[in-house]
Amino acid sequence: MELLISLTINGLATGMLIFLLAAGLTLIFGLMDVLNFAHGGLFVWGAYTGVFTYAWSNSFLVGIIVAILTGLVLGFITEKLIIKPVYGNHVQQILITLGFMLVLQEMIKVVFGPNGVPVKVPSYLAGSWQIGDLTIIKYRIFIIVVGFALFGVLYFILNRTKIGLVVRAGVMNREMTQALGINIKRVFLIVFMCGAALAALGGMLMAPYSGVVYAEMGMEYAILGFIVVVIGGMGSFQGSLLAAILVGLAGSFMAYYVPFLSVAVNMILMASVLIFRPQGLFTVAKG
Amino acid sequence: MIKQPLLLSKVNVVYAIVVGVMAVLPFVLDSRTMTILLTQFCIFAILAMSYDILLGYTGIISFGHAMFFGIGAYTTAIMLSDYGPSIGIFAVSIVVGIVLSAIISVISGALTLRLKSHFYAMFTLAISGLFLVLAEKWRTVTKGNDGFTFRAPELFRERLYFYFLVLICLVVVFILLKRIVASPFGKVLVAIRENEQRTRSLGYKTLGYKIIASVIAGAVASLAGSLYAISLRFVNTSVMTMDITLDALMMTIIGGVGTLIGPIIGAGVIEFAQHYLSGLAREYPIFERWIIFFGILYILAVIFFPRGIVGTVSLRYHEWKLKKGQKTKASVKLREKEIQR
Repeated sequence: MELLISLTINGLATGMLIFLLAAGLTLIFGLMDVLNFAHGGLFVWGAYTGVFTYAWSNSFLVGIIVAILTGLVLGFITEKLIIKPVYGNHVQQILITLGFMLVLQEMIKVVFGPNGVPVKVPSYLAGSWQIGDLTIIKYRIFIIVVGFALFGVLYFILNRTKIGLVVRAGVMNREMTQALGINIKRVFLIVFMCGAALAALGGMLMAPYSGVVYAEMGMEYAILGFIVVVIGGMGSFQGSLLAAILVGLAGSFMAYYVPFLSVAVNMILMASVLIFRPQGLFTVAKG
Repeated sequence: MIKQPLLLSKVNVVYAIVVGVMAVLPFVLDSRTMTILLTQFCIFAILAMSYDILLGYTGIISFGHAMFFGIGAYTTAIMLSDYGPSIGIFAVSIVVGIVLSAIISVISGALTLRLKSHFYAMFTLAISGLFLVLAEKWRTVTKGNDGFTFRAPELFRERLYFYFLVLICLVVVFILLKRIVASPFGKVLVAIRENEQRTRSLGYKTLGYKIIASVIAGAVASLAGSLYAISLRFVNTSVMTMDITLDALMMTIIGGVGTLIGPIIGAGVIEFAQHYLSGLAREYPIFERWIIFFGILYILAVIFFPRGIVGTVSLRYHEWKLKKGQKTKASVKLREKEIQR
């Protein structure tokens, strides 16, 4: 029982981090049909800038704020410089965002050095609770709480506010939303920046969890993000949460029970979704 | 679509001269480094051409090309070290690599090629990531990240002979692929790139065509991988990394998509630039990150020169011909397009 609980907590924590990455990806895709391969680059930039300010200021919170700001700024730059010139051309979009990903990743090595940087958990989140035989690491609970809180906030914004209404309408039918007099490109810019900020935040939260940041982690987690987006259904926000948790749990349980399958489990999940339900678990009614 | 110039024989003479020059080059330069560099160039030219079959001719984006390259490299390396370094084993290992690559292409193609192009890009990215992890973890076979050395067949231990083998492979692959893209099958691929729905409504089963294109690309990439392994006589997980895919991608984009000569030129540009930039890195450390320059160049190329070097040059050439009033097949086409506008 203790084992099951701690595996579940591990899986949920990983799932939440992937969710932060995938939420932006899926909305960006749903809104403008843009699959942003540079998303992992935003993730790793958030992690590095956050970690360095955290080390410099000794305040985890400042690190988080800086990571979010980095995400917003980089999101703005990416949308304006990289996505906009090739808007509407899928092939060019995929190619160019991957190229930008490469540049972002290499820039990390130039600015912060090529080696990994160790990160400590802030003192007030370090350590663990002991309940009977069960050890619960505080930082994992922290991630899960933050993840669910962010999901709640985003869910509220998407479903209860005007901008959320516009975003949902845009995902459903872009042309019609435009015809109703809404500047969809500006909405898209906002969503893109928020998505980038979420990814950057995810990177920053990831850093103490894995204990080290390195330039290639962007690509590794971006792949998980893509898998989640495919499983959850492209454009579906709720779907990305569910799929992220699924991928996180599958990863943590497989790593314990069937280690040799743990690498492949996400691929198997994705392949079976592609075979039986290529539109993903949740579908957005495209009208 | 970029048409080849009409006077094919003239072009063929130019090709023959280029191949001749390349065959003589190692004797003229007479340096080991240059021979190795030329060998690398030929191998990556083969890889880039195979990539262009997907990207340039069929309009499919694959981010997992390194996987096929890696499969070829590992198959050859493992078979040569297990069964001894003979030419026969080498030949068999190439075939085995090709077959393995073909099987994986068929599976991933059947799963994702019927969906939007994003899916194939994502799926290949993910599955090649899986193969990279597999190569790292399956230590008993691959020796993990450290890799292993093996002995190449006697004949190819001489750098020069191996260079000739690679050059012959490049020429053969070029001719084969040229035949394929010029065939009715190749025309269907181009039609799919231009407008898949219309191609389907003309009665072509586009999924099958796309899968075959991906099988061809995977097989040729695997051949390039086998040759690469021999050229290094060493293999480790770096043959499976994203860098290989990105190299192929950049060579194709910078050289010119939708042509076969473009990726070869792109491979030349990038291989030689890489060589000289890493030489510069000894003096200016910033050049150690030469990949940034290529990344930026690549982004600019995608935005401003989507046709790449070859496409842009041939466009300018035909425009110039048009201005002079000379008629070639392509310039007539250009004129027709202008009139339509």
